[in-house]
Amino acid sequence: MANEHHVNAHAKQLPRDLGAPAFVDGWKTRALVIGLVFSVIAAGLALLDGSVEHVLRAWLLGTVLTFGWAVGGLALLMVQYVSGGKWGLLLRRPLEAMSRTLPLVFVYWLVIALFIKKLYLWAQVDGSNPSDIASALKSGFINEVQAHCLEFKRPMLQPDMFWLVSLFCFAVWAFYTWRLNRLALDRDADSPANTPAWIKKFENICGPGIVVYALTMTAAVIYWVMSLDPTWFSSVYGLLFLVGQGYSVLALSIIVSIGLSKAEPFKTILRQTEQHDLGKFTFAFVMLNIYLAFSQFLIIWSGNLPEEIPWYLDRIRGHWGIIITLDFLFHWLIPFTMLLSRDIKRNKRRLTAVCAWMLFAKAFDLFWLIEPNFKDAARNLHFSWGILEYAAVPAAMTAFWFAFYCTRLKMRPLVQINDPHLAEILEPEHAHA
Amino acid sequence: MPPREGTYGLLAEFDTPSDLVRAAQAARRDGWRRMDCYTPYPVEEAAEAIGFHRNKVPLVTLIGGLMGLAAMFSLETWISVLAYPLNIAGRPTYSWPAFVVPAYEWTILWAGLSAAFGMLALNGLPALYHPLFNAPNFRKGASQDKFFLCLEALDPKFDLIETRAYLATLEPVSVVEVEY
Repeated sequence: MANEHHVNAHAKQLPRDLGAPAFVDGWKTRALVIGLVFSVIAAGLALLDGSVEHVLRAWLLGTVLTFGWAVGGLALLMVQYVSGGKWGLLLRRPLEAMSRTLPLVFVYWLVIALFIKKLYLWAQVDGSNPSDIASALKSGFINEVQAHCLEFKRPMLQPDMFWLVSLFCFAVWAFYTWRLNRLALDRDADSPANTPAWIKKFENICGPGIVVYALTMTAAVIYWVMSLDPTWFSSVYGLLFLVGQGYSVLALSIIVSIGLSKAEPFKTILRQTEQHDLGKFTFAFVMLNIYLAFSQFLIIWSGNLPEEIPWYLDRIRGHWGIIITLDFLFHWLIPFTMLLSRDIKRNKRRLTAVCAWMLFAKAFDLFWLIEPNFKDAARNLHFSWGILEYAAVPAAMTAFWFAFYCTRLKMRPLVQINDPHLAEILEPEHAHA
Repeated sequence: MPPREGTYGLLAEFDTPSDLVRAAQAARRDGWRRMDCYTPYPVEEAAEAIGFHRNKVPLVTLIGGLMGLAAMFSLETWISVLAYPLNIAGRPTYSWPAFVVPAYEWTILWAGLSAAFGMLALNGLPALYHPLFNAPNFRKGASQDKFFLCLEALDPKFDLIETRAYLATLEPVSVVEVEY
């Protein structure tokens, strides 16, 4: 600033109470009610459908979605420690709270792991047993390509490895979650004179942490989602989920920050400048997301190889073309055109609406990724009561997750004090009349 | 056109952006319209204070981008379907996924060029001469640490004596008369 003395005279004061405002409890109650309502709807749909098949598939969607917030939130927390910036200080506590929802995501995942045989072809057919494969092949349960892949990928695609890799990943994420959350409180309790040392310390933990996150997250989504189709592979798959997590974590963070800004302390620290910055950051993820998704499609479409192309044909033919077109519109075109506008990014109500839409689009994208993996749905989009579970189950799981998130949010003050960005975020924007 | 003569306006100098914004808001409130603010770095509040309205650059950029998109996509379609149809791995000649990347690149290119040249066309740059540079304090401070408000002589309210007195009420560091 040109004239520091003058600007400081106008600086805002941080409120005395930095805790989450009381209405967060109201959010929690509302989320619990929504969760219960959708649970009842999901149960009713399962009765109508007469099977829990789709409940499990939709459960997988809900798990991946909430996993994206918990572990993606942890990743963005690490990114902001490394990159610095005022937006990072603003989001730090909301992101910490997201990372501390990991136990609930673990519980969600346990259901998947227990019902592994209902979801994964490689858990149903023992690839190490030639007679098992032969009989499955004979009965038409699997085709020859699948038989070959089950056999060849057996060292990786088997229940023991699924448990082992997933538990290892959860342990790693839990470690980082615990460490970063613990140290953040220690930092605030320490004297401000030590802040530079703390900043270095966080950078040293988070730099390697981001690499570790990228690797473990890739392993997890390969096991949980990609392996639903044992024949297919794509080297950009982990990156797609990584960017997708950035996409949904930022959208949720913006919704939460704007929601919190109705009362102190976010009323003071959420300035229009940082809101605008977050909007721009989200816009970048919208672009990167379509860039990777389209590159994967273009490369596989150009190659047109029999090992790769069926995965897309399963998701385009038999009316799935409608879903992929809508996915393109929902997931990219609508957020892209909306976030281009400066006015929307600076308007609290409208930005919240765009971000809420993005969360819906993320779930819609996961539906397109998950459902066509199953034999009854591949190249055959058709109505059944079960398919509506994709709306009910993730809605209930997200609502319960959000209620849990609210309790995490209430656990600690919403602003970190010992941070050099605090003074900057309290300054008036540009000039004050 | 013969060279213009006489007074361009009165230039008030301020030390801080906040003083400038306050003065600009007051001038706007008191009915001034032909005026402008000059700051060493963008001060959005100053633009708002003098009733800055939307310009046409975003529209020019959008139209440019869409033209680039349409031009490249049509070019690719014309080449592949009509001018030089080739059988590439048995694909249809109209294979739109392959057209997306160049069409996208042209969208960006045209939008960028339209934004840059549209901005220049609409704001009158490059200008070889501007009367404000006749003021020595403007020459020295406008790109460093001074903030200026200029009330222009074209405004119907402008009167050399009265306007100078009015500007003095806004408590500037100095008021200078600027010649064309």
